[in-house]
Amino acid sequence: MANHAIPQHPGLVGAVPARGFPWRGGDDRPGEAASGRDGPAAAGARAVRRAPGGHPGWLIAPATLWLFVFLLVPLASILVFSFFTSTGFGMAPEPTIKNYVDYFEVEGFFDPEARKFLTPSVFLSTLGTTFRFALTVMVLCLLVGYPIAYFLALQVQAFKWQLALFLLCMVPFWTSYLIRAVAWLPMLGRRGLLNRALVELGIVEKPVSFLLYSEFGYTMALVQLYVVLCIGPIFFSLAKIDRQVLEAARDMGANAFQIFREIILPLSLPGVAIGMIFIFVMLMGEFASAVVVYGGKISTVGTVILNYYTFANYPFAAVNALMLMIAMMIGVVIILRVVDIRKQL
Amino acid sequence: MSVKNMHRRGRTRREFLGETAKVAAAGALAGGFPHIARGSEGIRTIGLAVSIINEIQGKASEDLGFAVRGQALGYGAMVGKMLNQNDQYEVAEGYFNDMDVMIPSKVWQPIDTQRIPEWEKVSDLTKTGRLTPESNPGQGDAPFRHLWLDEDGNRVEGPSRYISMLPGWHNADSLGYNPEETGRPIESWAELFSDDFAGQVALLNAPQIGVMDAALAVEGLGIFQFKDKGNMTREEIDFLIDFLIEKKQAGHFRAFWETFGQSVNLMVNGEVVLESMWSPAVTAIKAEGVPCVYAFPKEGMRGWHGGCAISAKATGKTLDQAYEYINWWLEGWGGAFVARQGYYMSVPENVRKHLEPEEWDFWYEGKPAAKELPDPYGTIIVEEGEVRDGGSYWDRFRNIAVWNSLMDENNYLVERWTEFLNA
Amino acid sequence: MSVKPRKSAEARRRTLVKSGFGIYFAIFLIFIYGPMFAMFILSFQGKRGGTSFPMRGVSLYWWEKLIQPSTVGDLKGALVRSVILALIVMVFTALFSTMLGMAFRRPFRGSGALFYTIMAGLMVPGVLLSLGLATLLKQVGIPPNWWSTALGVHVVWTLPFGFLVMMAVFNRFDASLEEAARDMGAGEWTVFREVTLPLILPGIVAAGLFGFTLSYDEFARTTLLAGEFNTLPLDINASMTQRIRPTLFALGTASTLFSLLMIGLFLLVYTIIYRRTQ
Repeated sequence: MANHAIPQHPGLVGAVPARGFPWRGGDDRPGEAASGRDGPAAAGARAVRRAPGGHPGWLIAPATLWLFVFLLVPLASILVFSFFTSTGFGMAPEPTIKNYVDYFEVEGFFDPEARKFLTPSVFLSTLGTTFRFALTVMVLCLLVGYPIAYFLALQVQAFKWQLALFLLCMVPFWTSYLIRAVAWLPMLGRRGLLNRALVELGIVEKPVSFLLYSEFGYTMALVQLYVVLCIGPIFFSLAKIDRQVLEAARDMGANAFQIFREIILPLSLPGVAIGMIFIFVMLMGEFASAVVVYGGKISTVGTVILNYYTFANYPFAAVNALMLMIAMMIGVVIILRVVDIRKQL
Repeated sequence: MSVKNMHRRGRTRREFLGETAKVAAAGALAGGFPHIARGSEGIRTIGLAVSIINEIQGKASEDLGFAVRGQALGYGAMVGKMLNQNDQYEVAEGYFNDMDVMIPSKVWQPIDTQRIPEWEKVSDLTKTGRLTPESNPGQGDAPFRHLWLDEDGNRVEGPSRYISMLPGWHNADSLGYNPEETGRPIESWAELFSDDFAGQVALLNAPQIGVMDAALAVEGLGIFQFKDKGNMTREEIDFLIDFLIEKKQAGHFRAFWETFGQSVNLMVNGEVVLESMWSPAVTAIKAEGVPCVYAFPKEGMRGWHGGCAISAKATGKTLDQAYEYINWWLEGWGGAFVARQGYYMSVPENVRKHLEPEEWDFWYEGKPAAKELPDPYGTIIVEEGEVRDGGSYWDRFRNIAVWNSLMDENNYLVERWTEFLNA
Repeated sequence: MSVKPRKSAEARRRTLVKSGFGIYFAIFLIFIYGPMFAMFILSFQGKRGGTSFPMRGVSLYWWEKLIQPSTVGDLKGALVRSVILALIVMVFTALFSTMLGMAFRRPFRGSGALFYTIMAGLMVPGVLLSLGLATLLKQVGIPPNWWSTALGVHVVWTLPFGFLVMMAVFNRFDASLEEAARDMGAGEWTVFREVTLPLILPGIVAAGLFGFTLSYDEFARTTLLAGEFNTLPLDINASMTQRIRPTLFALGTASTLFSLLMIGLFLLVYTIIYRRTQ
């Protein structure tokens, strides 16, 4: 759909050359790039061919201004902070790269005798752990959430029920995050509901302790906390699939698996990618449930940032924050690469 | 609006509802339009939920005749706000272990003790470090080391006219344990690492404080001696963290708690039998029917001390009101209120005026309760005949091993602590 | 060979698949509602009980506590502020996402930079965003407030969610209807209102819902930017310094029940409208 790119005439009306941005709309119809720009030549074409919504200028201006004030300016100051010198009670505007050196430097990294020989710094390995965990939970959320989105979009017939059941999945998400995390304790604890059920069903003799304050419990809680984030986008992309197309494929003798692989999966990929991005960034920034459900037995980058922030080492907190952002950006770019967005979106 | 709600006592329900609606509307407006909020009378105070309690600031507003608006925050949010937004509060109800950050940053103004009429009554605990002449002042950020300032807010040794913070509520922390599960009384910090309790132990997950509990335990085991537990060297930190990592990998710790509530839940839910704990948590656990004893370890306890500081931005009338409010704390009503939660106040004799004799005997003297005693809200939490663990106030503070501190090597400590958690 | 048996086999297979999915969905609901269920039961905990089992009697004590003024913080005021803030954020998120979604339907200069700027809002750690802005505000002398500065960073946080939802909506968007309307002489605004808007409405609602939910729950970004009045997450965070009481569970249960009620109401209204249009 997206790839019948018609040659454009960038010079004609001063339009931007259609560089293939990965997110460019699949409805990218010929002539669009040339519309909405000044120039008499375009005027005639505009009446019929103009893309909906008018000039992008006023469409993006408010949000751009907003992002400039509340994101770019503070972000720039974070970047500046990261080069400031920590005074122990705040920071002084004396430029230094010490914070970055501290972040990466490992004593004895090149010394085969040393204990830390070729081990990454604590901060890097924390980032690595956080990254790995985010990936695991992300994949689990996808495995758990995809069938739900599929069920809602393609198995439930009435739109009313689709929406109702979808909202039903959303409801737990509307309760405060901290409350939801705390609510796992009476579920998984030694005296929790699950243990009681296990004991009463005779599966175990004594309450087991691996459910809570363990990687198992943590993973489970995170999946519960975040799975809705991927159900939404996947549901949306699946719901747009024309059921007649599926019927037609079936009539032509395609089996369920073929239909899924050839039609449904590819069409749902943008939703999958978007859901993955949501979950991934949320998990990378995670710090509260690690404390509540994992009993603080793991340190995430978020925890590290908070620890330095609390005692006023803002430059070092800023370095950690920037590194976290870079890792997130890499993750998002990878996701956008895996799902060939240029084709999909 | 929260503060104003507190004035309702003694009114009829209907009046109260009408009032609430009015106050809610006013509050929404005040919250909505800053110039109105700013122009309104009164002062703002921020701190932890230990001292920012609606009843307390409500009573202060009532007594003083102007509004004292409290904003309770979590610890990190509190320090961040105190340090970065001293134009957003007049009074900061802070803690002496943050003074290494707060004093040099000059976000607070030195408090003139000549404007504190009751200053003489403030106990020697914060002035000399010795509550009683034979007391041991303890290592670390003991309040007396951070109390005295000169007129410009620089730290000075010994008594001077200016102070950094008006000493207020304080306590000494140690270990809490479930005697039915441990099977023996806990009398030393060393028990924290006893193999008998492997997998059923929790530690406080704040690097600055958790590391001190661990240090006390290591010293109790007799395997290491720290020069100053309140200000460890890199080598000392390395030794301690390596030891902790070993223990963690052996599965010794059930969890690390960060908030008061978590420490309560851990014990109540039967997840742990022994953990580092704050004194009021023991009361909370017992209130839920789970046996819990507050250990009085022979090595001494870990102390902490809070108080009231005044923002450097407070001037004129708000400054006067800020002084009125912090002086109000010394009158004893607030001290009596927090006493019923297990905290002590820097002016015991004034607190005594606001406590019933039985309450005084129980909370301060460490005597058996002569009758049932309530918490600040009127719920009975102490049965007749119960004894407060840790003895009397003076016994408890005679032997503070170490005070909550911010070490010079804090950055290194946080780094190694992170490594420990991820090990 | 007759067609009939094949069809019924097919129908049976479909029913089977469908019920399989139905069962999975039910299990899924149990999974995500499990903690909610524990929370629900424990909100009726006896007066001397805590936030965990066993139940020490049954009472409405904690529900009453929820209605009474709280001792620490100002639960009701914070709740009201958080809901108002979340509603404003919802409107801005829906509006900006729609506008950006429309704009990104075709390439424009700087769209790459804008895309990654929007995404950066998703990635910048909240505490530092809050610190960075607070420091600048102090320099300029603007006081932070929950309805101004906190609103600002909340929208920065929620916008990427809404925006990506709109990207999904406009993906494979069939523009022929718009084209047809335009051919019939409809103006841009009419085309948008009459043709585009109804088609993308579910997406706009979803973007707005993301805005509401994420803002209602946001803690880190709000720390230094809420001013002197706490939002609900700040208030809950502050109360964690005290005992965690079943009041918290009563609050959680209340908001869950409220949401369920709203869905029920929505279904009812939908059904009535649907019947009328029939």
